[in-house]
Amino acid sequence: MFVSKNFHFLTLILILILVSTMNMFGADSSTVLSETAQVVEPSIFMILPFLILLMLIATGPIFYKHFWERHYPKISILLGLITVVYYLYVLKDSYSILHIFTEYVSFIALLSSLFVASGGILIKVNRKATPFVNVLFLLFGGVIANVIGTTGASMLLIRPFIKMNKDRIKPYHIIFFIFIVSNVGGALTPIGDPPLFIGFLRGVPFFWVFVNVWHIWIPTILAIILAFYFVDKRNKTGQDKITKIDYSGTIEFRGGKNLIYLAGIILAVFIDPNVMSWVPSLSPLPIGIREIIMFGIVYLSYKNAHPDILKANEFDFEPIKEVAYLFIGIFLTMVPALQLISNFAKSNHDLLDTTTFYWATGILSAVLDNTPTYLNFLSAAMGKFYLDVNVQSQVLEFISKDDVFLRAISVSAVFFGAMTYIGNGPNFMVKSISERAGIQMPSFFAYLVKYAIPILLPIYVIVWLIFF
Amino acid sequence: MSTISEILKKKKNGLYYYNRVILPFNGCLLKIIIEDNILTDFSPTSKHIYVKEEDGFMSIYFKEYKHLEEEVSKYEAIKIVIVEKDKDIFDLKNHRKLALYPGENHELKIEATDDDILFIE
Repeated sequence: MFVSKNFHFLTLILILILVSTMNMFGADSSTVLSETAQVVEPSIFMILPFLILLMLIATGPIFYKHFWERHYPKISILLGLITVVYYLYVLKDSYSILHIFTEYVSFIALLSSLFVASGGILIKVNRKATPFVNVLFLLFGGVIANVIGTTGASMLLIRPFIKMNKDRIKPYHIIFFIFIVSNVGGALTPIGDPPLFIGFLRGVPFFWVFVNVWHIWIPTILAIILAFYFVDKRNKTGQDKITKIDYSGTIEFRGGKNLIYLAGIILAVFIDPNVMSWVPSLSPLPIGIREIIMFGIVYLSYKNAHPDILKANEFDFEPIKEVAYLFIGIFLTMVPALQLISNFAKSNHDLLDTTTFYWATGILSAVLDNTPTYLNFLSAAMGKFYLDVNVQSQVLEFISKDDVFLRAISVSAVFFGAMTYIGNGPNFMVKSISERAGIQMPSFFAYLVKYAIPILLPIYVIVWLIFF
Repeated sequence: MSTISEILKKKKNGLYYYNRVILPFNGCLLKIIIEDNILTDFSPTSKHIYVKEEDGFMSIYFKEYKHLEEEVSKYEAIKIVIVEKDKDIFDLKNHRKLALYPGENHELKIEATDDDILFIE
């Protein structure tokens, strides 16, 4: 991007200090009790910063690329600050802002640690990239996403996927990679995608997702992979060159020590006071032991990475910085939208059925962060049974009453993250890495209109018709 | 005037000053990737790039950058596809893929991209 590298990270720190301070000395700290604590409903007009940011993210890179690339960090932070000031000084609600900021810090800690740790790993696949080999590769990525998360799998596999297909690569290769590895694949475990992890923290048993979602995951993955196979089969680009190359069929793996860091990140995910009672909470600071470990891994894995591997991966912090800047704005500005949705859902929960939960969670997950969306709709679904999402025993009771709502919310929160570039954190990073490799990726709208809607939407409609 | 092959063989460096890159050979640029920007418009009216051919060397001005050393990080490269002067541009074998690394003292390291570097023409 054309943004100065030494751009103000200080602004982010300023928000952190501002929010933390407001929380500690806030006049009405008694309301800071739980997710469902009573907060004053925000004005409907306060969703404007969020809508403006979404519109700018969608149109900026197309219509005013230069301006956008130079100024997007400032715009994102400024729009976020409007929401912060409104909540702190108009609504006197520091909890909502601190809470979302805490989620943002967790989000960035996870993404940045996976990004840096996987950046020190070099995988070279010396195989002829046929549609069938690509199918196996994507399937492997989809499965492994449940072990190292969609972000970890995306960062680890996108480069070898591009390299393997370098003589025949097209944007659709990257887009299907985003569909499968960066999103849908990770629907089977709480490690796979952040919303499922939040569910796990709230009391959803670890293997509940696997046991209850695998029969939806398999046909969905297969349907997307089948679509990929037929598209890829028609791609005859570079055939002359490929047939002349003598492939050894080997897979070279360098930077094995970074697997230890990746394992450390996955273990750190569980270091949470809600999972392990001995873990101290650092509240009201918007950071926990887990995040400290993850940021520590960012430092160690970068410091100890082999320079040749970093050079081969053209390692640069810019993709993660782009995500950090855009998502601070998205996270902060989406607070009013989420609260309005949550309030609506709670006051109308009798009218909400599985279909509503599936589509509402899905559509909102495509443009909002899927984690709070998941949580708000889980809260609304539990409200149908007068249960509280903040009480673990009640989450279990909710599941035992009728788990179809949780299934619908879990599936759509993960699946629909693939609908747009901003639906899930790794989408943007995969796009950025691909562009740095020289692949001209479709715009925000082109991605949605040419790929996500024609390919994913029919599959998601079928999933809805069959399973919900 | 040195050819690209000679430059690579001798490991001769180019130069860069602020937003200007100086390459010690002449050629026809086909594509430049700098960060996540893919540039292919090298016409005189391009908003992004100005290319100036001089006797024995060529200059590329990145109009939207101020200081390349600040924009292109340690392990990043500016990647170019170029055809050497007087070579057949339509013969794909003549399309050279080069990675340019801004270093210290305005020196620009020039390397042929190997299989490790992700670079799709």
